[in-house]
Amino acid sequence: MKATPSPLCTPQDHQWSRRKILGSLAAGAGGLAGLLHPAVAETLAKREKQVLFIWLDGGISQFESWDPKPGTRFGGPFRSIPTSVPGTHFCELMPRTARLAHLLTVVRNLTTKDNAHSSGVPRILRGDPANRGVKYPYFGSAVAKLMGAGVSGLPPYVWIKPGNGGFLSENAGFLGAKYGAIAFGDGKPPENFTLPEGLATAEDEARQLLRERFTKSYAAGRRAGATEAQATVYDMALQLMKRQELFDTSRFSKRDLDRYGRSEIGQHMLVGRNMLEAGVRFVQVTSYGWDTHGDHFNGSASLIPKFDAAFASIVEDLRDRGLLDNVLVVAMSEFGRTPRINGHIGRDHYPEAWSLAMAGAGIARGRIIGGTDAEGVFVDAPQAYDIGSLFHTWYAALGVDSEKVEFMNGDQPLPIAHQEMAPIKEALA
Amino acid sequence: MGWLPAILWVGGVLAAPLAFSEDRLASRIDALIEDHWAGNQASPPADDAEFFRRIHLDLSGIIPTVEETRAFLGDSSSDKRDRVVSQLLDGPRYPQRMAEWFHVHFMERLGDDAAWEVWLRESFAQNKPWDRMAREILRADLRDEANHGAAYFYAKRLENYGQNAIDYSGLTRDVGRLFLGMDLQCAECHNHKLIDDYLQADFQGLMAAFQNLVPVKDRGYPAVEERLMTTKLRYASVFTQKEKFTGPRLPGLEEIEVPDLPKDQQYLVAPDKKTKTPGVPRFSPLQEFATRIAGAPGFDANLVNRVWFWLMGRGLVEPLDQFHSGNPPSHPELLSLLASEFAAHGRDFRWLVGELTRTRTYQRSSRLPEGAREQDCPPELYLTALERRLSAEQLLWSTLRATGHQEREVALENQKAPPAEVGAKELPGLRERFRKALANDPRQPELEFAPSLKGALFMMNDPELLRLLDKGDGAVVTRLAALPDDVRVAEELCLSFWSRLPEKAELENLTACLKASSGAGERQRMVRDLAWGMMTSPEFVVNH
Repeated sequence: MKATPSPLCTPQDHQWSRRKILGSLAAGAGGLAGLLHPAVAETLAKREKQVLFIWLDGGISQFESWDPKPGTRFGGPFRSIPTSVPGTHFCELMPRTARLAHLLTVVRNLTTKDNAHSSGVPRILRGDPANRGVKYPYFGSAVAKLMGAGVSGLPPYVWIKPGNGGFLSENAGFLGAKYGAIAFGDGKPPENFTLPEGLATAEDEARQLLRERFTKSYAAGRRAGATEAQATVYDMALQLMKRQELFDTSRFSKRDLDRYGRSEIGQHMLVGRNMLEAGVRFVQVTSYGWDTHGDHFNGSASLIPKFDAAFASIVEDLRDRGLLDNVLVVAMSEFGRTPRINGHIGRDHYPEAWSLAMAGAGIARGRIIGGTDAEGVFVDAPQAYDIGSLFHTWYAALGVDSEKVEFMNGDQPLPIAHQEMAPIKEALA
Repeated sequence: MGWLPAILWVGGVLAAPLAFSEDRLASRIDALIEDHWAGNQASPPADDAEFFRRIHLDLSGIIPTVEETRAFLGDSSSDKRDRVVSQLLDGPRYPQRMAEWFHVHFMERLGDDAAWEVWLRESFAQNKPWDRMAREILRADLRDEANHGAAYFYAKRLENYGQNAIDYSGLTRDVGRLFLGMDLQCAECHNHKLIDDYLQADFQGLMAAFQNLVPVKDRGYPAVEERLMTTKLRYASVFTQKEKFTGPRLPGLEEIEVPDLPKDQQYLVAPDKKTKTPGVPRFSPLQEFATRIAGAPGFDANLVNRVWFWLMGRGLVEPLDQFHSGNPPSHPELLSLLASEFAAHGRDFRWLVGELTRTRTYQRSSRLPEGAREQDCPPELYLTALERRLSAEQLLWSTLRATGHQEREVALENQKAPPAEVGAKELPGLRERFRKALANDPRQPELEFAPSLKGALFMMNDPELLRLLDKGDGAVVTRLAALPDDVRVAEELCLSFWSRLPEKAELENLTACLKASSGAGERQRMVRDLAWGMMTSPEFVVNH
């Protein structure tokens, strides 16, 4: 076990503390075991199911993306282009994604309930499991609870977003704070993420060793709960701190930066790729600014190509690295946008008929589900799907039986997805 | 305190030599707890150090000083535990500690307010009876200047953000939960589907009193206005759609009639729009509730259950806000004894806390009985003392004390400007850092020890926190690193962070570490690492 070299510590430092403490403490040898994660962990992690959840906050327009209606009353100025799935067209603003359509499942018959952001976002992210008088977890917290952190030892629910980061326990609902998200604002780590200036890595190892020893001696003869809980969060913190490179955007190649796009969502998607590769169970990448009530078409011309570059690149990379069979990818918003074009040349909130795309683990490839009428106003399919059906579908894709598995809220068993809905079978591989 | 010390500890064994001791509540509590043991093995009494640290954290909100611990360990008098309880209950830190406990428990990290803090501290300094405190909170009378702070309970909950409406349901729920132990949340729209005792009429009757409240802003203290209530509250079950009406009503009590007053008699003091002075209605549901609350079923049981939870680590009724016939207490006789005795003793907090902390139950060790496994000691039997969470405040105070920063401790405690050398901005900042890292988010009750990744990163890396270890001559690391005697350094470290002396093997390990470090720099570093290791071990961060 070698200490990671750090510019802050000299070779003498390394010899210093660990050796001395190990030598001084009776039966102290091996105290660092369990802290350093074995190299095999990452390889194993890759075989576990993971999720990449791309959230386009404010509402991406289905017309300018997955369900174009060129040349119709509400279609807007953009054309549609053929995709790699014969007979299926996407909006011309996403040419790269169009070439990957054979890897995706697109659902075009979503009908959801809420057309306000403040209530719609949590409703969608919680899977709208019918009002049970309790606050349901966001999908990321639910997956963290149901599937755990996995062997990576990293936090199970990581959220990369513009703006502030931090620890967002609200997301966990009744599951409790420890299933909340750790958010990396602007892709950067949260406060207190690095050793304070002047503290060498070797000294950190020395003090951690002492903490472990003291923890062990406290634990003797006591209930295990407190000690285990304390050890778990320290181990996780140490794992995360060891992976500073996950946030180091200077390490991205010029080629990757060009492919993903030199945009916020492009950079954040690259950080997300790092997280997935490191074995994080659930990675959410959020992009803001999609609420285009005014000047919608210029807005779309700017926003959608950024999404196209980031999304197509991550799907390509997951495919090329053999990860697409293990990572469930979802790209969606809280609702779609109105067919009607308002007086500010904008589109408003529209939960009646909209679309999302998904790919990867357990998901069918090259499938288009449902559709809308000629002008994109209503769902034109035997069935319209609400978010609850999607939750069932995602759980099925991840190998979680959403009809059998339940949450326990104290003594109260609760379904993990809307009880009256079921997985969308055609969406599953 | 009018009573005599009735329980004496002799060599760790309980002796009760005084004539009336059997009648004392503490003894009756122990008898009722031990009745349930049925041959299970219990942990021995906590040793002196374990007890001393625990009682300080509970009654003063801070670990004892090294000198206090040494003195207590060296004291051989048989009534020393009893005396410590009395001293701390009468001590200068008790009101603040109680205010912090009450604040965390009743405000659930929704926010902070200076007037509320002052009101709480003064209430506990005067040892206000619980029914009086509850009356002042529930009445929230704008005209009652001495108790303005009490309105914060409502005022904070009436705040609304952006376009969201005022959350009257949330306020209603909190009053039910925190004052009566009933979480009526699922009975707002229909009778509770799982709990037969919780009726929609209960929820709506409570809400009838609160639906007319609005926050009054820009007063410089928390304030609410009660608007006129002239008709009953109308509601309907979402299942039957049948329209119903209710006046204000506390669960289990009679409905309060809404009087039909002539227009010119509706106000005691009419509102003045020019000066923006709220009116005072002649019929005040808040006043009615305040008058009746102490008679509502569950009022006393809820409070004693919460105090019991705080001191013993588990409620007699669990969860704390699930009082109903389908969820009986683990010790029904004990709960009703505590509730009736509390009422009979004028709902006196000091008395209640004094009785509970003098029990064998409270003073048991948190180590499992010799040879016992965890599953042999179900928590509801209280065979072993349960480990409890320390609040961000308890950890802040204890960290300041352990690291040798009494001057910061005192300045923060008195809410005064800190001494110049500390830096005026640093102290409130430090408290905020502790809260941010170690307190729960709003509305998430702090009931169990639940360490977080955020907290671990704070303890590991926060520069302000780590600086406490060795900044200044009085800082624990600076002071101890300068001592030549390894045994002394090891002992002082243990006493500073763990409020106990090291055991023999520990002492050997600690002195071996110290011996291995040669030169001033290395020694300083070693002492710092040892101090940090102690500060981050559960022995420091848990109340055990």
